[in-house]
Amino acid sequence: MRFLIAGLFEGAVFGLLAVGLVLVYKGARVFNFAQGEFGTVAAFTVWALLGAGWPYPAAIVVGLLAAVVTGLIMERLVVRPLLDASRITLLVATVGFALFIIAITVLAAQPEPRSLQPLIGGEDRDILGAAVSPQRMVIALVLIGLAVALAWFFNRTNRGLAVLATSQDALATRAVGISVPGMSRFIWGFAALLGGIAGVLQAPIDIFYPGFMTRTSLVPAFTAAVLGGFTSLPGAFLGGELVGVVHSLGLHVLKDNWNVPGAGELTLFVLLLAVLLARPQGLLGKEA
Amino acid sequence: MALLEVRDLRTGYGHVPVLHGVSFSVDEGETAVMLGLNGAGKTTCMLAVAGLLRRWGGEVLFDGRPVGKHQDSRAMTRLGVVLVPEGRHVFPGLSVQNNLRLGAWPVRRHPRKVKANTDRVFDVFPLLAERRHQLAGTLSGGEQQMLALGRGLMGSPRLLLIDEASLGLSPVLAQQVFQAARRINSEGVTVLMVEQNAGALSLADRALLMQKGRIAMEGSGADLMSESALRQAYLGAPA
Ligand SMILES: Nc1ncnc2c1ncn2[C@@H]1O[C@H](COP(=O)(O)OP(=O)(O)OP(=O)(O)O)[C@@H](O)[C@H]1O
Ligand SMILES: [Mg+2]
Repeated sequence: MRFLIAGLFEGAVFGLLAVGLVLVYKGARVFNFAQGEFGTVAAFTVWALLGAGWPYPAAIVVGLLAAVVTGLIMERLVVRPLLDASRITLLVATVGFALFIIAITVLAAQPEPRSLQPLIGGEDRDILGAAVSPQRMVIALVLIGLAVALAWFFNRTNRGLAVLATSQDALATRAVGISVPGMSRFIWGFAALLGGIAGVLQAPIDIFYPGFMTRTSLVPAFTAAVLGGFTSLPGAFLGGELVGVVHSLGLHVLKDNWNVPGAGELTLFVLLLAVLLARPQGLLGKEA
Repeated sequence: MALLEVRDLRTGYGHVPVLHGVSFSVDEGETAVMLGLNGAGKTTCMLAVAGLLRRWGGEVLFDGRPVGKHQDSRAMTRLGVVLVPEGRHVFPGLSVQNNLRLGAWPVRRHPRKVKANTDRVFDVFPLLAERRHQLAGTLSGGEQQMLALGRGLMGSPRLLLIDEASLGLSPVLAQQVFQAARRINSEGVTVLMVEQNAGALSLADRALLMQKGRIAMEGSGADLMSESALRQAYLGAPA
């Protein structure tokens, strides 16, 4: 039970990142390897501003802005020129961009582990036997809020529909008068915002360093997105939770009992493989 | 008065020219039909007029005003020029209702217009109302064509460009599409339709014959029907 609760809270960050992955996938039909790096950029910006004496909320706003700007730069320099290229080419380009950002953060901030104070301090709370920090609770609340907001956005707003349209038929999208480059900017900026939120919230949980989001959270988030079917936002949300729980249980069973090295990664890999074999369309694989 | 006037339009793909100076006009309230063999450049012409393909040269005037070369489909739909593209191009993963809603993109900030347009579309195509929650990708070919036409109407067009709406439809369905086009026209929308199906000529106030990137003939539908040259050029049979 303890591990179930711990997993649910741990999974929230994976879910947050997975939602961003799904958004980009819906809009551009590509898996974005740079999604984690939007978070790193935001986290480092917040850290630098806090160091300069800024208040936390202002630092977060600017940090998220930095992530959005990074997303827009990526869209302009990497995604737009590859609009007509194969998706594999674009995929590789997102890997390149992630490495580029990691290199930049190493140059700017040295490859040293750092720590960020949590958004809300205080003691861990005991929830059904699991110790949960206030920061983790904030993450879970933000994830739930975002999931609801995004579901509404995609099903009820013109702009949300336009994002889906862009990914389904570019000619028809242009024919009804939607600007495809405009939508592309919007999608990447928005995805970067989501990645930034994940990074800013995740950084205080543990130490952070250049590339930390990619290193710790990208694979679990990818697994979460696949579990959810890669196009379903509720799926990404649930997938994140499932990954968190399985990860936590796997760690407990394999590492604590048998001392298996890399137990967490191993569990995730088995989970991913099992889903891909048994239900390749994911648990909730559907459009919208 | 001419709602659309095209003068010496030239364009193509990459470096390959397709239209070598196309000129014609369509009067307000008319139904014009453009005929021509496969590859003559009809679709290319529609794309260029709709702002989906950049013009290399020539002029387009809409409602008497010149349309700038850089004005894309976003600008054209706002002016009231809407294309129903060849091959339907519905959004397969979206419901019928959401496809229509996206068609209303140019007028999305006017809820009353969107509502009125939706009512009109459901009136012209009652079938779409019945299936409003169905995913467009699961509609039959004919139903998808109705949806593509309906989506075009949602944008409050003054000029509706319809590219081969009867393609791949049974004669009965093709006839239904023509009826719909007539109905749309009778409600005040000017229609320019591309057709392979010479049956469409009976609808035409004006007929245009596209041949190798040029307008080879322009006249009334009846004129072109009786033209032996048309028969030779278009049907490939000697007069
Ligand atoms: N995207 C493209 N890239 C390069 N060439 C193209 C492209 N689209 C069309 N063409 C060429 O332009 C010419 C005119 O094509 P277009 O589609 O305008 O003909 P059409 O009259 O609509 O024919 P159809 O009756 O078969 O629809 C053809 O030679 C075609 O090969
Ligand atoms: Mg054509």
